[in-house]
Amino acid sequence: MSAAAEAAVKKNYLTGLKEAMYEEMERNPDLICLGEDIGLLGGAFGVTDGLMDKYGKERVIDMPIAEAAIIGAGVGMALNGKTVMCEMQFIDFISCGFDQIVNMAATFHYRSAGEVSIPMVIRGPAGGYGGGALYHSQMNEAWFCNSPGLKVVCPSNPIDAKGLLTAALRDPNPVVFYEIKELYRNRKMEQELETGDDCIIPLGVARIAEVGSDITIVTYGNPVHFSLKAAEKLKAQGYSAEVIDLRSLVPLDEDTILESLSKTNRLLVVNEAPMTCGFAGEVMARMGRKGFELLDAPPARVTRTDTPVPWAKPLESTVLPSVDDIVNSALELIRY
Amino acid sequence: MAKTADPDKAAQKTAPSQTSTGLPREALSPEDYHELLMQLYLARYFDVRLIKEKKRGRLRGTLYSSHNQEAILVGALYALKSTDWISPIHRDMPAFFLKDIKAGWDNPDRLGMSIEEVCSQVWGRVDSPGRARDNWSHIGSRANKIIHSTSMLAGTIPVAAGVVYADRLDGGDAVVVTFNGEGSTSQGVFHEAVNFAAVHKLPVITIVENNHWAFGTPVELECPTPDVADRAKGYGIPGFIADGQDVLDVYDKVSMAIDHARSGKGPSIVECKTFRAYGHGDHDDDRAAKYRPDDEVAKGRSRDPIGVMKNQMIESGMLAKKDAMAHPAEGKGAGEVTDHDFPEKVVKYLSAGVDFALKSPVPDAEEALKWVFAEDED
Ligand SMILES: Cc1ncc(C[n+]2csc(CCOP(=O)(O)OP(=O)(O)O)c2C)c(N)n1
Ligand SMILES: [Mg+2]
Repeated sequence: MSAAAEAAVKKNYLTGLKEAMYEEMERNPDLICLGEDIGLLGGAFGVTDGLMDKYGKERVIDMPIAEAAIIGAGVGMALNGKTVMCEMQFIDFISCGFDQIVNMAATFHYRSAGEVSIPMVIRGPAGGYGGGALYHSQMNEAWFCNSPGLKVVCPSNPIDAKGLLTAALRDPNPVVFYEIKELYRNRKMEQELETGDDCIIPLGVARIAEVGSDITIVTYGNPVHFSLKAAEKLKAQGYSAEVIDLRSLVPLDEDTILESLSKTNRLLVVNEAPMTCGFAGEVMARMGRKGFELLDAPPARVTRTDTPVPWAKPLESTVLPSVDDIVNSALELIRY
Repeated sequence: MAKTADPDKAAQKTAPSQTSTGLPREALSPEDYHELLMQLYLARYFDVRLIKEKKRGRLRGTLYSSHNQEAILVGALYALKSTDWISPIHRDMPAFFLKDIKAGWDNPDRLGMSIEEVCSQVWGRVDSPGRARDNWSHIGSRANKIIHSTSMLAGTIPVAAGVVYADRLDGGDAVVVTFNGEGSTSQGVFHEAVNFAAVHKLPVITIVENNHWAFGTPVELECPTPDVADRAKGYGIPGFIADGQDVLDVYDKVSMAIDHARSGKGPSIVECKTFRAYGHGDHDDDRAAKYRPDDEVAKGRSRDPIGVMKNQMIESGMLAKKDAMAHPAEGKGAGEVTDHDFPEKVVKYLSAGVDFALKSPVPDAEEALKWVFAEDED
């Protein structure tokens, strides 16, 4: 296949992640990967497929089922000059390594007065809608947004998956990286991917996923796609919604949101995580302050209910945000 | 090399064969013995001096005394090479300046913190290695190969494992010695980290300072086996037991653990039996006097590591009795001891650190907002 023909091939979200990892392993000989079943098996979802064969078991480590050791050992490697990628088999299990993230990795640069930085990505499959039930459906990003020293990232498509992961693997700070597992192999969303420096999506820069003028819908991850569907439905009713895909929560691209609000004067924030202390609330709080003069209606949010994510389909659908939830909230705001 | 409850047996089994008794201490010269004794004095004086400074009102904050446990720090650190790593905890404050001090107390190139840096940390001044961002023992130095601790007990053991994993990958031969209380060995992360280190035969030496108490909880309620070193069995690694009052025994056992680690055989646990002389911290002295029986405390404090070392040196003819009596710090509490009980070298050395710290400024308020994130260098 010629280079041009190869570039034209469209690839899925998981391939975007995989390419980022392979390219960074090649570029950065100090990059070490740690995780459960990531070597011999190639990862529970196959994100690290073939990586150990190519780069050896010293750099791609099949770890014991011990999230605190995975993250803690990663911090130690970073302290001693390495770049580290830790895979959580499901992002739900990140709680077992919580202390090592929020008290060890996140604070290292601060408490060492800048002597040490921890270039480290902690990534894993996240999100609901797949019947994963309580412990295979979570979006727990708010925990880490509330822990100074961590960057928090969540791509919604293959280009961003590759570009953000590449940026994260080159960032000198610990980054918690939320992969939407329901999108891993989604064929409808396949995209052409760039290589190396050209693919990089800088952390902290949001993307306008849909241009509109009546309302701004701010979101990230899987709800980006629900919001785009909602925008279509709103269009059918004669309303034009702008959809902003944040891509990074920390750092947050406030300017892009404010610019959009200056046009639409209405803010709806959608996140898949539960409501109380969720990231949507943070966006509302900041815009309620900095964008107060721009707003014609009180900001609103669509989130998961403040419950765990149950298993059976009707139960799961009850708690997670839907396209209709977004349409209804948007209409309420537009008609305010 | 198997764990054995008898320290002497462990020593004989594992010692290098070229020496007559087989103990690593055979390689030490009389100068080394005198240096070890001097370091014991220094660690002790650091402790009592801080207590006195606090009583004088010149120092704020909680103090976690290493009184009666100094032989563990001194003996273990003496067994290390400059380029090895350490990870101390709250009770190990002297470890920060004792690391690599054998390369010369005033040697600016040694890989350990200076007494000025450590005192600045104690006083919360800007010349602390962490610029007074966290308190007490929560400092570190990548340059000096000292892992920055947090409050979270056992939390640095996986970090230590990662440090030496990276070192080995780069072709290094560094070992890491982590210091822990016996209470900390019940943490889940202790198991995760030692298990990982054992699987990969990483050169991680886990020292357990078994002082019989974790704050207000006795060891019987922390650990189900008579020896904490028994935990090693589950990882298939050696569990050495040392007399924590005897700097030479600690030196021997840690040296064996280091040989084991450096030759690629992997991690080990070294339990050092000792006793916490005072309360958990100085805020706890009054209550500790109530929750710990008097006879237990008296027995626990009966073998002062300074006195134990002096006796060994007298027996082997390295120290005259008269000289041993010149500085009788052993067996005395912080309230009883005076500067005359310590060699002048020790008092001068530490006083310079204290004077420096008292002159070091507090950090500018704006520094509170710095270094949350590292700047991109790419
Ligand atoms: C994870 C964690 N839990 C609780 C504490 C509070 N704490 C500090 S020291 C201590 C006792 C530690 O006992 P041990 O490990 O035996 O060390 P020692 O103080 O006896 O030297 C406790 C409970 C802590 N620092 N970290
Ligand atoms: Mg203890």
